[in-house]
Amino acid sequence: MESAPATEPLLRLRGVTKIYQPDGQEVTGLEDVNLDIQSGDFLAVMGPSGSGKSTLMNILGCLDIPSSGTYEIKGMPVSRLSPEELARLRNREIGFVFQVFHLLPRYTALRNVELPLLYAGVGREERAQRALSALRAVGLEDRRNHLSNQLSGGQKQKVAIARALVNRPSLLLADEPTGNLDSKSGEELMEILARLNGEGTTIVVVTHDPAIARRAKRVVYIIDGRLVAREEFRELRG
Amino acid sequence: MNFFEYARVALESLRANRLRSALTMLGVIIGVAAVILLVSLGEGTKKYVEEQFAGLGSNILIVTPGKIETKGGPPVIGAAKHKLTLSDSYVLEKKGYLFGGVAPVVFGTAEVRSGSRSRNVPVLGVTPSFSHVRNLHVEIGSFVSESDVEAKRRVCVLGRTVKRELFGNANALGQMVKVSGGRFRVVGIMQSKGVSLGIDLDDIVFVPVRSAQDLFDTDALLEIILSVRNKNDIDSAKELARSILFKNHNRHEDFTITNQAAMLSSLYTILDTMTYVLGGIATISLLVGGIGIMNIMLVTVKERTNEIGIRKAVGARDRDILLQFLLESTALSSSGGIGGMLIGVLGAWGIRLLVPKLPVEVPSWAIVLAFTFSVFVGIFFGVFPARKAAALHPIEALRYE
Repeated sequence: MESAPATEPLLRLRGVTKIYQPDGQEVTGLEDVNLDIQSGDFLAVMGPSGSGKSTLMNILGCLDIPSSGTYEIKGMPVSRLSPEELARLRNREIGFVFQVFHLLPRYTALRNVELPLLYAGVGREERAQRALSALRAVGLEDRRNHLSNQLSGGQKQKVAIARALVNRPSLLLADEPTGNLDSKSGEELMEILARLNGEGTTIVVVTHDPAIARRAKRVVYIIDGRLVAREEFRELRG
Repeated sequence: MNFFEYARVALESLRANRLRSALTMLGVIIGVAAVILLVSLGEGTKKYVEEQFAGLGSNILIVTPGKIETKGGPPVIGAAKHKLTLSDSYVLEKKGYLFGGVAPVVFGTAEVRSGSRSRNVPVLGVTPSFSHVRNLHVEIGSFVSESDVEAKRRVCVLGRTVKRELFGNANALGQMVKVSGGRFRVVGIMQSKGVSLGIDLDDIVFVPVRSAQDLFDTDALLEIILSVRNKNDIDSAKELARSILFKNHNRHEDFTITNQAAMLSSLYTILDTMTYVLGGIATISLLVGGIGIMNIMLVTVKERTNEIGIRKAVGARDRDILLQFLLESTALSSSGGIGGMLIGVLGAWGIRLLVPKLPVEVPSWAIVLAFTFSVFVGIFFGVFPARKAAALHPIEALRYE
């Protein structure tokens, strides 16, 4: 990273490597990744499919742990945490937005948004109240009692953002958030993300779309599991 | 951790697959209903037998002629009497210090006639002690007395049914009836006792034992009933009776002494065993129901892999997932258990209506046991699928479509 940060970064990755062994054969997902993400940052991770974007995203989101290297959230080393503590981190510190939304189809929008609060042990009334204000923040208050499979793609993704934010996490992780949306909804969604970042939310977006990456404050490039400079990326991508 | 929230999720999921849930529950319903019904039937049978034997008393020994055994050569002529006589009864009464009563019984059937009405009934030749040994008492008049026996008086005591058939509502006391052609004076009417062991105790005529021996031209007794003064002495009383009779029969054991209580208790043991066996067989069907639950829970976990991934991504711990699916299987099995309980209890009630003679009653322990077991089955067979769900890796689960 070209400029050394003055304060302790929110996320710090040092020499993070991830090796998969799906059928005995070693596949390198990430190789020696060093990355600092400051609080309030809006980072885009760009790379073609199969480049390791998703692996990086899974590690950042504590869904997976590195094979080697260290990953710290607020100075706390993640690789030494138990599955239980990882679940707690996902619950309190991280909000996910997925390309395919991943809402529970039989649940209303409101109950989908309540879900993280349920696992945080928040009581029923407070849950509903906080979920409602999160829905209000993405402009879907009036859809709160719709089942999630009755919503349009754009609305689903807004519900997903509300769910990601409801527990006031340190980090919002979005994996191709506009991948399944039409351009208008995608645009609207990016507006929301930009606004949230303006309000102080740290955001990491994984995408292969340069138009999305342009909305971010900072872009890192990943190819074959390694972070590369923009020039090298252009060269390799042709 | 929010137990009620998980219970709600479990119930919602069951409601979303109504038919499937109902079919899965059916296995448990049938199992629990079968346990309750079969155990109730077993208990009912036991109670029926108990009622049949009620009033016999647990302090009764019965001496019958002949020996149930297969060993030994041909009997020495003149040595064995092979029958019980009044002499046996007297010697038992004289030497049997442990006995409360000694009641010799002569048995025959005879035509009893009064005017134009007649009836073929069992006639029992008895002594006064029969009344308290067998717990059968007169309602009007008096029972056979000692002097009736000694004097071979031609008196009789009628059972309720005999009295009604011969005399209707008219007074019978002091009237004469013909028993096998001989004239007997009615001195008493018995209390109504109903049927015991297939014998209608109300359809009997009692006469003094010696009069009966004359009537049937025999000196042999059907049996001698002994009541033991103290229940705890029943074994030594049996031994005492044996040694007295042994001596009186020229040192031949050509009689059998039966302990009613011992026979009954072994019968009850058999009936209890039967109840347990029936319950056990029904329990197997409950286990089969449990396997059905496990099967359907495995399908559910597979179907909801993506949901599990989502829940884990937003912070569900392994044990949250475990608890959710465990509650779901337990909800299945316990609702099945409640359904089975209702059907079992209703079924037992139905049998009671259809077969009033059989006192089918649902023992509360069977209800508690069947229900507890059904809950346990849900937990037991739910653990494997729930653990499978909890162990899913969030990334794999999220990727699953």
